Amino acid sequence: MDLVQEPERVPGKSEIRSCFDPQSGTLDRKVFADQALYDLEMQNIFARAWNFMCHESHIPNPGDYFINYIGEDQVIVVRDKQGEVQVLLNTCRHRGNALCRAEQGNAKSFVCSYHGWNYDLNGDLIGVPGLSTYYRKDFDKSQWGLAKAAQVDHFHGFYFATLDPDAPPLHDYLGEVGRIGLGLLVANGPVEAVDGVQKNVIDCNWKIAVDNLFDWYHVQYSHASAGIAGFMDIAAILHPNNQMVMFGEYGHAIGGPVIPEEKQAEIDAMTDEERLAVAAAGMLKDPTKPVVPPRLSAARELLGPTGVRCMGHPNIFPNLWVSTNGTQLSLRLPRGPFETEIWWFTFMPKGLPEEVRKKQIAFNAHLFGPAGMLEQDDGENWSQSTRASRGVVSRGYRHHLAMGLGHDEVMTDAAGAARVETTVSEHAQRWLYRNWMDWMTADDWADLKANHSPVPQGRV
Amino acid sequence: MSQAKAMQAETAGLDALSLQRRMEIQFEIEQFLYAEAAMIDGREYRTWLDLWTEDCSYWMPIRRTVTLSDIDREFTKRGDMSFYDDDKQSLTMRVAKMESGSSWSEDPPSRTRHFVNNVRIAEIEGDEIGVEVAFLLYRSRLNTEESMWAGRRVDRLRRVDGALKLCGREIYLDQTLIRATNMSTLF
Repeated sequence: MDLVQEPERVPGKSEIRSCFDPQSGTLDRKVFADQALYDLEMQNIFARAWNFMCHESHIPNPGDYFINYIGEDQVIVVRDKQGEVQVLLNTCRHRGNALCRAEQGNAKSFVCSYHGWNYDLNGDLIGVPGLSTYYRKDFDKSQWGLAKAAQVDHFHGFYFATLDPDAPPLHDYLGEVGRIGLGLLVANGPVEAVDGVQKNVIDCNWKIAVDNLFDWYHVQYSHASAGIAGFMDIAAILHPNNQMVMFGEYGHAIGGPVIPEEKQAEIDAMTDEERLAVAAAGMLKDPTKPVVPPRLSAARELLGPTGVRCMGHPNIFPNLWVSTNGTQLSLRLPRGPFETEIWWFTFMPKGLPEEVRKKQIAFNAHLFGPAGMLEQDDGENWSQSTRASRGVVSRGYRHHLAMGLGHDEVMTDAAGAARVETTVSEHAQRWLYRNWMDWMTADDWADLKANHSPVPQGRV
Repeated sequence: MSQAKAMQAETAGLDALSLQRRMEIQFEIEQFLYAEAAMIDGREYRTWLDLWTEDCSYWMPIRRTVTLSDIDREFTKRGDMSFYDDDKQSLTMRVAKMESGSSWSEDPPSRTRHFVNNVRIAEIEGDEIGVEVAFLLYRSRLNTEESMWAGRRVDRLRRVDGALKLCGREIYLDQTLIRATNMSTLF
C-alpha cells in the first residue's frame, strides 16, 4: 500500500506541545501517523539519545561485529584489534554503500563491495584501489575514515552508543531508574547472551510498541488466551494491588508489579543457597512457569531498596525494554511512522545449571517473539491502532491515557528514585509522552538538560 | 510384499529396498503430509495434534544473514534461542490457545495454504522415517495482510500401531527478519 507522504514541514514547538496534555492525559493520534513528526524524532530523539547496541558477549573476539541501528542509521558494532568496542556508521565514505551486509560475523577489515575501499576495524581507511594510478596520489586517506558514534560506553557489559558529542555520560543519562532497569539483567550475577536474536516487522508506529510495555491493563484481555490455554496464570502475574511506577529523568520509567515490603523482608531473611533452591525447584517442577527466582542478596546493593522489589518493565528511553524478569531485552526500531522492527535478545546468568537454562530459554521462546504465546496477540492491536490514526476524522479523536491520573502520591527513596505504589495505571505512559515532548522541542542537549521535565513530586 | 518382510527390509536401510517398495513408502508419506497440511489449512487443529507422538519435538531455529565465511553460524543451534522450541505439551497449549475464544491473532482466523513439495525420504531407521520437504506457507489475514514463508522442513515420522505419526519437525525458514506481524499459524 502506498503511504501518503505529508508535505515537508518542521513541526513547531507549540504543535509538539499540543500532542500530549498532562492535565487531561490525552494524546493526539498524529504522534503515530505524521511523517514530519517522525522525521524530527530521528533528529531530536534517536540521534541524541544513548541507543543499545549489543552485549559484550555478542562480540567477544577482535573482529567480531554485530549490526544494529540508531534510528534509521545502520551501525557496525565491532571489537577492534585492541579489544575496544567501536560503533561505526555502516556506510562507505566514497559512495555510501553498506560495508556489512551480514547481521553479525567476524571480519579482519571492512571492504566495500562497490570499489574495494578497505577500512580497519577502528574505522580508519587503510586501502583505496588505484590510489597512485587513478587518484594520482591526490587523495588523503586519513580524512575519509568511517563516521563513528560520538560516544560509546557500557553498563555491566551492555553497550550503548550516541551520535551526539554533547550527550551526558551513559551513567548520568540512565540515572537511578535507568540503572535499576538495566540492573535487573545482572541482578543474579554476570550474564551472557544466548545465541540468536528474534527479529520481525510490525506495521505499527514504534511508540505504541514502546508504551505497551508499561501497559499492564491489556494483559488480562489481550493475552487472555494464553491463560485459558494454561501457559501462564494471567491473573497471578498482574498483582493489580501491588503495582509500582518509577519515574526517571529523560523519560526512563519502570512500570508493573512490585514485591510488597513484607514479602521482600521474608526474602531478605533467606540465604542465597535457599533462594537458588527455590528458583531451581520451581522451574523443574513446572517447566511451563517462568523462573521468578528470589533475587540473590547482592541484588539489594546493586538495585537499592526499591529496585530490588521491582518486578515490572523498565524502558530505557527511547526504545529498549528490559523484560521477562531481566532475562530479555527488546528493541523497538523505527522504520518510518508505520513500521517497526521488534528485536528480542535473550540473556542467561553464567553458570546456570544446564537443565534450568534449557527450560528458561524454551520458556522465553514460548512467551515472546512473533510466535510467542503472548506476543502473537500484540502486533495486530498496535498495527490497527496505527492504521486508525491515519483516517482524517478518526485522527481527531485523542487517545485516553488518564487512568489513575491525580490519584497517587510520589514517594522518593534514599537513592532519589521517585515512584508511586498503586494499582494498574497509566502513569508510565504519561511520563513517556511528556518526556517525548521535551526531547522533540529541545534545540540541543544543553536545552534538554536545562528544560526537561523534573522527576515528579507530590500528587500525580 | 508382506508387512513382516517389508519391516525387515526397511530395517536394513533405504538402499536395500526395492524400487517398488520405495515408491510405496514415498506415496504413503506424501499422502500423509498432504493430509496433515490440509488439517491445518482446514483449521482442524485438534485432529492435527493427534498426529503427534507424546515425545515429539517441534523446532524452528533463528536464521541469520551471514557471510559465506561465517556460514556455520547461519542457524541457531539446539539449546540456543529459536522461534519455536516445542514439545507435545506446548503444542497442545498452542492449539488450546486457538480454541480459547480469545485468541485475537487468529480471530478473525487467518487463511492459510501449506504447499508441501520436493518430498524426499532421507532415511529409514527401524520404525522411524526421516523426510525432507520444501514448503511454502501462504497466509492471508484480515483484508490486506499477506505473509509467505518458504523453507526446508526435516520431518521425522514413526509407525505407531500401524499408523504414521509425527515425532519430529525442524523448520528452516528462508527468511531471516520475519516480515510479518506474528507467526500465529502452525508450520
